[in-house]
Amino acid sequence: MRATVVPGRVPELLEVLGDFHTDTRGSPGIPFRSLYGVHFARMVLLEDASDLRGRRIPASLVYFADVDGSADSHLAELAELGDAGLDATFGLCDGYPEVPTPAGRLAFLREHSIVTQAPYVNTLGRTVDQVQREAALRDAIADFLDSREWDPEVADPSDVRRAIQDFVRGNPDLRWARRRAPRPPLRRRAREKLHAVLVPLGLLAAAPLIVAVLPGWALLLRLHEKTDPAPHRRPEPEHIESLLALEDFAAQNQFTVIGLVKPGVLRAVTVRVLLWLTAFATRHVFNRANLAGVTTIHFARWVVLDGGRRVIFTSNYDGSVESYMDDFIDKVAWGLNALFSNGVGYPKTRWLLLDGARDEQPFKDILRRRQIPTQVWYAAYDQLSAKNLHNNELIRAGVFGPLSPVETARWTARL
Amino acid sequence: MDGTAVSLELADIQGIVARGYGTLPAACFVLARIDDPRAARGWIGSLTDRVTHADLRPEVEAVNVAFTAEGLRALGMPEGTLAGFSTEFAAGMTTEHRRRLLGDVDDSAPEHWSWGGPDTEPVHVLLMLYARDAPDLARLHEEQLARLREGGLVATRTLDTAGDILGREHFGFRDGVSQPRIEELSSSPADAESVRGGEFVLGYPNEYGRLTLRPTVDAGDDPANRLPEHEIAGRRDLGRNGSYLVFRQLGQDVAAFWRFCEDATRTDDGRPDPEARLRLAARMIGRWPSGAPLVLAPEADDPALADANEFAYHHADADGRRCPLGAHIRRAHPRDMLAPDPGTEASVAVGKRHRLLRRGRKYGPPVPEGDLFSVGEPYAGPGEERGLHFICLVANLARQFEFVQHTWLNNPRFAGLYEDPDPILSPPAPRGRVFTVQASPVRRRYSGVPRFVSVRGGGYFFLPGVRCLGWLARMPS
Repeated sequence: MRATVVPGRVPELLEVLGDFHTDTRGSPGIPFRSLYGVHFARMVLLEDASDLRGRRIPASLVYFADVDGSADSHLAELAELGDAGLDATFGLCDGYPEVPTPAGRLAFLREHSIVTQAPYVNTLGRTVDQVQREAALRDAIADFLDSREWDPEVADPSDVRRAIQDFVRGNPDLRWARRRAPRPPLRRRAREKLHAVLVPLGLLAAAPLIVAVLPGWALLLRLHEKTDPAPHRRPEPEHIESLLALEDFAAQNQFTVIGLVKPGVLRAVTVRVLLWLTAFATRHVFNRANLAGVTTIHFARWVVLDGGRRVIFTSNYDGSVESYMDDFIDKVAWGLNALFSNGVGYPKTRWLLLDGARDEQPFKDILRRRQIPTQVWYAAYDQLSAKNLHNNELIRAGVFGPLSPVETARWTARL
Repeated sequence: MDGTAVSLELADIQGIVARGYGTLPAACFVLARIDDPRAARGWIGSLTDRVTHADLRPEVEAVNVAFTAEGLRALGMPEGTLAGFSTEFAAGMTTEHRRRLLGDVDDSAPEHWSWGGPDTEPVHVLLMLYARDAPDLARLHEEQLARLREGGLVATRTLDTAGDILGREHFGFRDGVSQPRIEELSSSPADAESVRGGEFVLGYPNEYGRLTLRPTVDAGDDPANRLPEHEIAGRRDLGRNGSYLVFRQLGQDVAAFWRFCEDATRTDDGRPDPEARLRLAARMIGRWPSGAPLVLAPEADDPALADANEFAYHHADADGRRCPLGAHIRRAHPRDMLAPDPGTEASVAVGKRHRLLRRGRKYGPPVPEGDLFSVGEPYAGPGEERGLHFICLVANLARQFEFVQHTWLNNPRFAGLYEDPDPILSPPAPRGRVFTVQASPVRRRYSGVPRFVSVRGGGYFFLPGVRCLGWLARMPS
């Protein structure tokens, strides 16, 4: 959700957000930990800006959360339990109720909700509760293994697994692990399958049109690529400092970039189409622990703002920003190019997918220049990497799931 | 730029880039402060003839020189020019953020450093001196100290070295077996260990086929045309043939290292088990004392493999049962283990963007031969400080040194692990460090691994090209 800040109240808001940040490790005004199923949440101030024609875009405050339940039930809970935090922040924005009540706050939140054009979720359907339980299970099994000697002469992997099964059965806190992880209801799975099939079918039906339009679009794009200015400017040291001050406190980090979309219809259409394709790909293809080779991103999203003039991208990832950007370049340069090259100042691309991010220094510098401080950031399990979460999931699945002897040996190697 | 043969301008590159001066076992490092910029520039001018270039293989002595950002500032370099250097170099090693990134906390926090920290003398200049033997080094040292004094510089500290470089590091393991080979300086064909010169020297194509960012000056500030041309018209290249140099003084608590290995491997009735003790130590390092890598010699040391460096992990040992996934050498140089396609050329290519050219020397008294690999209390007396003057050269501090330190060494979640930072070099972990030995039927975890290595000093330096030195000597102010 997003709301415009009341003119003149930005400094005050920044101060409030700063206070929250020092508190991020605990609970920043909003008790995220008590809200249902919050994986990540952030509040970011988008400062006063102007578009390519010099029109002013007033400062606004955005709130993004990645939650398990529905967006609306999250807002309802937020309105009720996050009252103090909301009043202190969105209270400085246009349209916030003068005398806030839970109902008034909820109405405000609903009114200011915005659409995410393309979300990315590391593993669709894995809830915070599941993540935390599986982490506890893994820790308990690890401690159990430490408490015994495992002589290779005497025990083989299936003995280890049997002992773990007995241990889990005998531990009331871990009884839940005897069941498989819940799957989405049948109706929902069917709907997803249908979507995964119908959309490509629709595209196929539209193929003649696409084939007719594509060459013209590609040539026009190539022309734009040749003339779009791509000056290499380095970020200001003070700007870098303001970003670094919020980085590398835990295993995970946050990333927020916002940029202007290049002028013209071509780019406006290209961005929308590509985000639509991205949303399809993250929903049906890259939905289980791997985003085209990148395994370190938990949640991310692209949101088109200001009637298409700007796009904001946020993500929650493992490691340092350096390793994150290197991953981009080494593994998904094509993807970054396709989406971000529609933004002003991005290094030159060829045919949308080539070059661009491979131009390491200009690429890293433009990302840093477009990055803005994530003043409030909440991460529910910030000491676990996405790889850990995936491994925990497989450990849980293997305790009682059907495994062949070879699979059993592979499973014990995960412990 | 890709694919074209490039040759390095060796006469303009300082010698330490091309070689570690193995024929000059005596060495010391002088730290100095600039008080008078004009006189200091004179000193640089007089040093230009003395500095050892990379095109010569010195047999008697060698002198190299590097500067911190603060040092360049003290010389009178304008902020606008300094801004052309890398952000990490300009900000220095001890910022709040960099402490988190590098793990310089607790005992290793810069407040406790004996040099380079916030409470010690400012470090402006690093003078690296090498000679055949101790008396020659003493003479060179004297001569250079006198020159420093003439130039109005104050030598604040001399860091001595142990004087033997072919031996082992203090824990008793052969060190420095694996080094990237600079492609342009090697006659053998490119392979997994060869890396393009631009990864270590500025001004040449790096492993992305690009030129790493480097500082420039306006042509008007170089009236005598001392500096090389830059690809941007009207600019001169201040960075070309220079490198960034990372210096970390790493203290090693040898007794603590072996005490931990001993206590962790006692037999059921509490007796020490020397063989198991050595095996655990070797697993933490990833090589045996001779240098033989565990991935090739998993059960026992094999001196025939002491120089072995042509090996990879993925096909031989993807699950870490020969060499643990968290072993020091496996994380400092993961070879073909990197995502997204372990075991392929593509994986090796990713790794080539994170190599360090190591040029360190050890310091402090050697551990007596008879006490090697044992708890040996006698050598752990008070004041017996020993360790490694870790030095490495890179073109990109963030992508090379800081990445390796943070993402591979300090990261407890490296290679899918959970609480296992590097057993040798990493900072303490919130819940204690863990070291896991992958095994059948199931892994064995060692918890509560103490810290054996602490940081005692350090800094980021710029090792200029020879022409850049000449320009610095006459820098317009």
